[in-house]
Amino acid sequence: MSQLRNIAANGLWNQNAVLGQMLGLCSLLAISTSVVNAVSLGLATIFVMGMSSLIVSSLRAFIPYEIRIPIFILIIAALVTVVDMAMNAWLRDLYLVLGIFIPLIVVNCIVLARVEAFAAKNPAGLSAFDGVMMGVGFVWVIGLLGAVRELIGQGTLFSGIEMIIPSASAIQILPADYPGFLVAILPPGAFFVLGLMVAGRNWLDYRANQRIHAQRAQQSAAAVAG
Amino acid sequence: MINNSPYFRQPASVRGVMLKVLAALLPGLAAYVWFFGAAILVQLALCSAAALAGEWAMLAIRKKPVWLFLSDGSAVVTAWLVALTFPPIAPWWLGIMATLFAIVVVKHLYGGLGQNPFNPAMAAYCLMIVAYPQIMSQWPAVGFTDFSTQLTAIFGPDRHLDAITMATPLDALRTQLHTADARATVAGILGSHATFGNIGGKGWEWVALGYLIGGVWLVRQRIITWHIPTAFLATLAAIATIASLANPAVFAGPVFQAFTGGAMLCAFFIATDPVSGATTPRGKLIFAAGIALLTWIIRTFGAYPDGIAFATLLMNLCVPLIDMHTQPPVFGHKKDEEEDKKGP
Amino acid sequence: MSETESPSAEKVASAMMAPLSESSVARISVRTAVILLVFTMAFTALMAGVYQLTQPILEKSALDAKRRTITEVLPPDTYDNDLLADAATLPPVKALGRDAPTTIYRARKDGKPVALVFEAAALDGYSGRIDLILAVSADGRMVAQRVTLHKETPGLGDYIDPKKDKNKQQPWIKQFDNLGFDTVLGGKWRVKKDGGIIDQRAGATISARAVTNASGRAVLWIHDHSARLFDLPNGSQWKETSP
Repeated sequence: MSQLRNIAANGLWNQNAVLGQMLGLCSLLAISTSVVNAVSLGLATIFVMGMSSLIVSSLRAFIPYEIRIPIFILIIAALVTVVDMAMNAWLRDLYLVLGIFIPLIVVNCIVLARVEAFAAKNPAGLSAFDGVMMGVGFVWVIGLLGAVRELIGQGTLFSGIEMIIPSASAIQILPADYPGFLVAILPPGAFFVLGLMVAGRNWLDYRANQRIHAQRAQQSAAAVAG
Repeated sequence: MINNSPYFRQPASVRGVMLKVLAALLPGLAAYVWFFGAAILVQLALCSAAALAGEWAMLAIRKKPVWLFLSDGSAVVTAWLVALTFPPIAPWWLGIMATLFAIVVVKHLYGGLGQNPFNPAMAAYCLMIVAYPQIMSQWPAVGFTDFSTQLTAIFGPDRHLDAITMATPLDALRTQLHTADARATVAGILGSHATFGNIGGKGWEWVALGYLIGGVWLVRQRIITWHIPTAFLATLAAIATIASLANPAVFAGPVFQAFTGGAMLCAFFIATDPVSGATTPRGKLIFAAGIALLTWIIRTFGAYPDGIAFATLLMNLCVPLIDMHTQPPVFGHKKDEEEDKKGP
Repeated sequence: MSETESPSAEKVASAMMAPLSESSVARISVRTAVILLVFTMAFTALMAGVYQLTQPILEKSALDAKRRTITEVLPPDTYDNDLLADAATLPPVKALGRDAPTTIYRARKDGKPVALVFEAAALDGYSGRIDLILAVSADGRMVAQRVTLHKETPGLGDYIDPKKDKNKQQPWIKQFDNLGFDTVLGGKWRVKKDGGIIDQRAGATISARAVTNASGRAVLWIHDHSARLFDLPNGSQWKETSP
């Protein structure tokens, strides 16, 4: 159980692919212009990561060490191609928006990194869980980034949701006459918001460390006193 | 050997320097008010207040001696540069937001006075022109100085802009060159249009002259060295001369380039920022020449009204590289560079 | 490809203990190749399967997308023929701003000409070329036009695209709906700044002027050649003759 919790904590926070390891930034910065775009790419990434970890891990007995990288890439590329064709067929509008960034999941270092570092050495169930958790770590970061950029940039959330659920529509959060703040939607906004998010994570970690130190100091002081 | 910016070592003198910089802006400001009305004074007041408020808040959060730094005047200089590069009839919140961005994000989040790698006023300008290109292109018409109408434009609610705005000289020139009218030439456009004056833009040329006078005074007062203004203006003039000789129909000449837009302001007041600019004498020449070259390229081929802000930021990025390669030899080593004797 | 290149600790160790014979190197190479081949075939089969599954849907949705673009400029209830099949190809036409062949679709109702749908381009946008799709009725009126591709400054010149236009009730591009070719002839198919009737937005005249002038030229050219364009045999090439 604690192993599962460890994997989840690593994926979501400690070794978070984006905030901790700064991996996969290209698609992250390019696609996080709105929540819908961001989360869609994130879900595709979760699928690819979970499936590739599962497949690699179940077949790891048959994959010779020398040619593991080509085979990993083959598996990841095949899965991405499947996602790519499926989205093109069933979610065409969204597919046109995400464009090149779906195929680019193949070269997203997070995927190969997890397959190589975890799935190649661990049982299938754990590996799939690790892949999914790493993907979820990617999704919440890219989703939050997309939400902040969309909210500041155009005052809405979930614009473009009709590409997935035809009956739904965007939520206007800020007043309708909000003039918008274009920079947030343009690439500089992605860097600004991501920078602030990384700073926020470091600050939280710093505070947590301070607390632990304070507790230890207290404990040792109590031990001395007692 | 590292050339520190003169700031941090003697915070007491910063105040005197900043006051002189503000004083040197006055001739240009006088011309500005004469030709474009008193709206700019409102913006100066708004931006200064925002700068002081932002500076105060950040100093308090960072637990720095608030009054020592607040009274040095550097925040006010940033505020004035923001106000002077923004359209004077922009809505009130624009200058305030821009100044707060300059002070809080560009200055303090990067380490505060003496540490910021980017020129705060220019970063604010870039942010706003990307965010609100339409508002940032609404410049007042020359000679339209009715203060109450301008106040309405600044504070709303009904801005009535069509009556009081006019394309800036740079914009007017580019717009007309862009028009698919084969007969449009630089000379023809400059001769015909109400926007253009004797050598630059109508009104703007006098403002630029004011900046020039104030800037020369700053050099004589040894607040800034001659390197940056000279290299900037000489490079801009040289490129403009070559281009306009090559094709006078398409490229404006050197005098027009130097006396329109923010060129003079940039030469003496923006590029000379001692914190975000190059610090070695040779580095200053390269830095300023780079800004001039980029300014000309962006003005001529770019999509935004003026190029000085983007050019300054791009060259700010190159400062560590420039400084590293232009360090004067350490004392005691062979001195083979004439430039070093003239250094500060 | 020698075995010792592999960094695997245990294999390196075993290689050090006993050098592999030539035959075992060959055996491992073949085994590796076969495994790679099996993996490749398996996953290629997977992709091929998904391709087979999605291909018909893809073709349909590509057609749908084309239809939707056309529907934006020409309401489908105004014609009853199979528009996408009733097409002719024009060589590059300067008046349309095109440097590539243009496909022109002919809408008819009860066999009578209704409108022509085609692409045109404005070459003098603020940041270069602006691609347009237009529908022009048989009597020389603009039914509607849309911008399909442009690089105008975000937030400034991009209002020519109704998706980016902040005024959702009255997008800028709708001003052209129902304007006739006579407006072009009368010199009024221009932005107001140039003395015409088309509004421009303050600070961003160039994008509006480019679209306005290009569509005016296109409408006039199409009107002048309307009869011939409708009469072209299906799928045929138009040969430009001297006017």
